[in-house]
Amino acid sequence: MMVWFTLLLNSVWAAIPAVGFGMIFNVPRSTLPLCAVGGAVTYGFREVLLFNHLSIELATFIATTAIGIIGVFWSRRYVMPRPVYTVPSIIPMIPGTYAYEMMISLVTMNSDGVTDALLSSFIQNGLHAISILFAIAFGLVLPSMYYTKRKKPII
Amino acid sequence: MLLEYGAESRLIEQISSRLGVALGCTSIEISLIPSAIVLTTLIGDSSVTTTRRAHEQPINMSIVHQIVTICIAAEQSPRDIMMVERSLANIHANPYPAWLIVPMIGLSCAAFSHLQGADWPGFWITFLAASVGMMVRRALSSRNYSLLIVFAFTAFVCTLIASLSFYHGLSSTGRVVLSSSVLLLVPGFPYINSMLDAFKGYISMGWGRWTQATLLTLMSSLGIMLAMGLLDIKGW
Repeated sequence: MMVWFTLLLNSVWAAIPAVGFGMIFNVPRSTLPLCAVGGAVTYGFREVLLFNHLSIELATFIATTAIGIIGVFWSRRYVMPRPVYTVPSIIPMIPGTYAYEMMISLVTMNSDGVTDALLSSFIQNGLHAISILFAIAFGLVLPSMYYTKRKKPII
Repeated sequence: MLLEYGAESRLIEQISSRLGVALGCTSIEISLIPSAIVLTTLIGDSSVTTTRRAHEQPINMSIVHQIVTICIAAEQSPRDIMMVERSLANIHANPYPAWLIVPMIGLSCAAFSHLQGADWPGFWITFLAASVGMMVRRALSSRNYSLLIVFAFTAFVCTLIASLSFYHGLSSTGRVVLSSSVLLLVPGFPYINSMLDAFKGYISMGWGRWTQATLLTLMSSLGIMLAMGLLDIKGW
């Protein structure tokens, strides 16, 4: 019970960045609530998958594919290009911390000399960041690739 | 027919310059490179070729949305060139006001830090850093500096403020604060767009945008490194 409550709370926290970044990208005002819902759903879904002991890359991939498919429906319904919904929704999953750790270890290696611990931290964090980024990108691309198979545009 | 295609092709030009997706009609050939669009309109035996240069613009999804709406309206009532031209002239940017966007971005980055396990002082420091960073970014953008310089300087300011958390052990999770306060600079749209382009067959567009996104990321890490070197943070 407690776990589900935490998960719900985290999803609500994840909705805030979705709205904020939607504002940076200047999405139309009417879509902001849907962006928030998208961010919350995507993050919550990933948390559930992580809780079930999936790896973080796979969980991210499945969650982004889900939001990609949801975005297709929303964009049909509200006549909107899909990235309006999908990109703000995936923002909470950007692997900022991993990329940051990678860069820190790079800088430290430069100033203090290369050690095994630093090198392994660099490689590991970098691989994590890159693979999560690719998972996000591929998950978003997959639904639209399915739909471009047909000649008709989505909206 | 001529007028209708003229309208359609202009829509293609504008939509594709943003999204890299061509809404191809049979008699319109379009070729995209990251900085320009070559467009050939074929009507009967004659053809018109135009080249347009695409200027760098900040991302603005509401303009894209309006163009798509006009495009759909034009499909429903073809040959209505006057309507299309009028509505194209009516497109407006519709930006969010500064007093709303600055705290929202601060709150977003603070939410990031919370999600990654920062404590409450860290939360507020992130809020402050990201808000000031957003203000700097808006101020520099409105003065028409290059986007790369804007990103580097914003990252610099963000890191400077976020490193407050190391001051007298104000926050025990300084690393999370530092990393999440620069998250407002993540070039999400260029990355996703470049992936979409490349997967759909616009390889050169994809590469162009990917390079742009990577350059932006590099510049922001340069700003972070500068700030760290200046302060000589020993938090890690």
